[in-house]
Amino acid sequence: MDPTHFVHINTGSPEPIYRQLIEQVKRRVAAGQLKAGDEIPSVRELAQALAVHPMTISKAYSQLEADGVLERRRGLSMVVAAQHRRAQPTADRVELLRPTLEKAAAEARQLELSSAQVLQLFKTLLDEQAP
Amino acid sequence: MTSPHFPHTDTPSAQLAGVSLSYAEGASVLNGLDWQLLPGQVVGLLGRNGAGKTTLLETLLGLREPQSGSVKVFGQDATRRDDATRARIGYVPQQNDLFQGFTAAQLLAYFRSFYPRWNEARVEGLLSRWEIPRDRPIRKLSGGQQQRLSIIRALAHEPDLLVLDEPVASLDPVGRRDFLRELVDQVLDRGTTVVFSTHILSDLERVAFNLAFLSRGRIALQAPLDELLEQVRAFTGSVTEMASLMARLGAQPLKRTPLEAGRERVLARLPANAALPAGVAADRVNLDDLFAELT
Repeated sequence: MDPTHFVHINTGSPEPIYRQLIEQVKRRVAAGQLKAGDEIPSVRELAQALAVHPMTISKAYSQLEADGVLERRRGLSMVVAAQHRRAQPTADRVELLRPTLEKAAAEARQLELSSAQVLQLFKTLLDEQAP
Repeated sequence: MTSPHFPHTDTPSAQLAGVSLSYAEGASVLNGLDWQLLPGQVVGLLGRNGAGKTTLLETLLGLREPQSGSVKVFGQDATRRDDATRARIGYVPQQNDLFQGFTAAQLLAYFRSFYPRWNEARVEGLLSRWEIPRDRPIRKLSGGQQQRLSIIRALAHEPDLLVLDEPVASLDPVGRRDFLRELVDQVLDRGTTVVFSTHILSDLERVAFNLAFLSRGRIALQAPLDELLEQVRAFTGSVTEMASLMARLGAQPLKRTPLEAGRERVLARLPANAALPAGVAADRVNLDDLFAELT
């Protein structure tokens, strides 16, 4: 897997980089873009590709391993864990959107927009990206 | 607060205790400063312009002698370290001090003679990758090329302690990213201790695992960046509400800023699992906010 396109990070966010990595990997697994047994970039590869401290990467991988999303194969490589072969229940997948939407909700309140106005925009965006 | 993340028990790479330094004009720059850098830590040094970051780094390197306090690098007094200890340190100064009449090749050959360890393959690789002419006088190189050459000189002898004082100010975003990758390699391959001073906070966010905030001549706070982003909140409310909230949460204010109408903004760590009372506004903060509040 090409480590430069594995995940993207945003600096200047209140979300620590390791948290961003965890959320993105979980989203990609939930969406089926990463499948059980898929090998993910090593800590070294990803640290170099993103120019991020290697401990930040290993912290994210350890958490993902503890959460059962990744597992360590004999040797050193990490792969997507088997129990994620079945798609996660919808409720779990929806929950993954919460951090992103919380931020949008807070900004909508600051802009004094009504719920209807915001939901309309969200619906438009969803329709635009419909497969 | 010092919050070492690496469970090293070795001698600190650098240790400053009770360091005070004033200039002849009487301005006090460092004021009883305590600071410790553990092996393998990458520490971002943050401070406003004029806070004394360069003075602090020069003191750590033994280039300035403080009026009081002790400065040890790899266990030796910083101003009296021997050649072997000196060879373990790499330094990229804010103003490059390259000999302007030399060529890059002459400069590197000159420095090579001082170091028992010198990674010629890495030097050659970096000169090529960063497109630095080997045989043109340094004064004819661009600012960015000179800064890159200064970085190569600091990395060539594979230092155990790397001190970076605004090392990337003249580099464009691509040049900065190349530099950060070298830094990551250095950490991966050698576990080098790094102190990195810069105002480009996005660079620090990537590579600095720990942050040290220099304010009023002291390290006001040192902690892992992740921990600060996850725990620190900005609370706003009346002064009395804030006082009782801090007491209830058992939190120590890191910074208090008076607002109009008897209100204040308080920056504090929210203890893990602490529930916020209803009606209390607590904003998350990013690195820019932390810089603005804590330096």
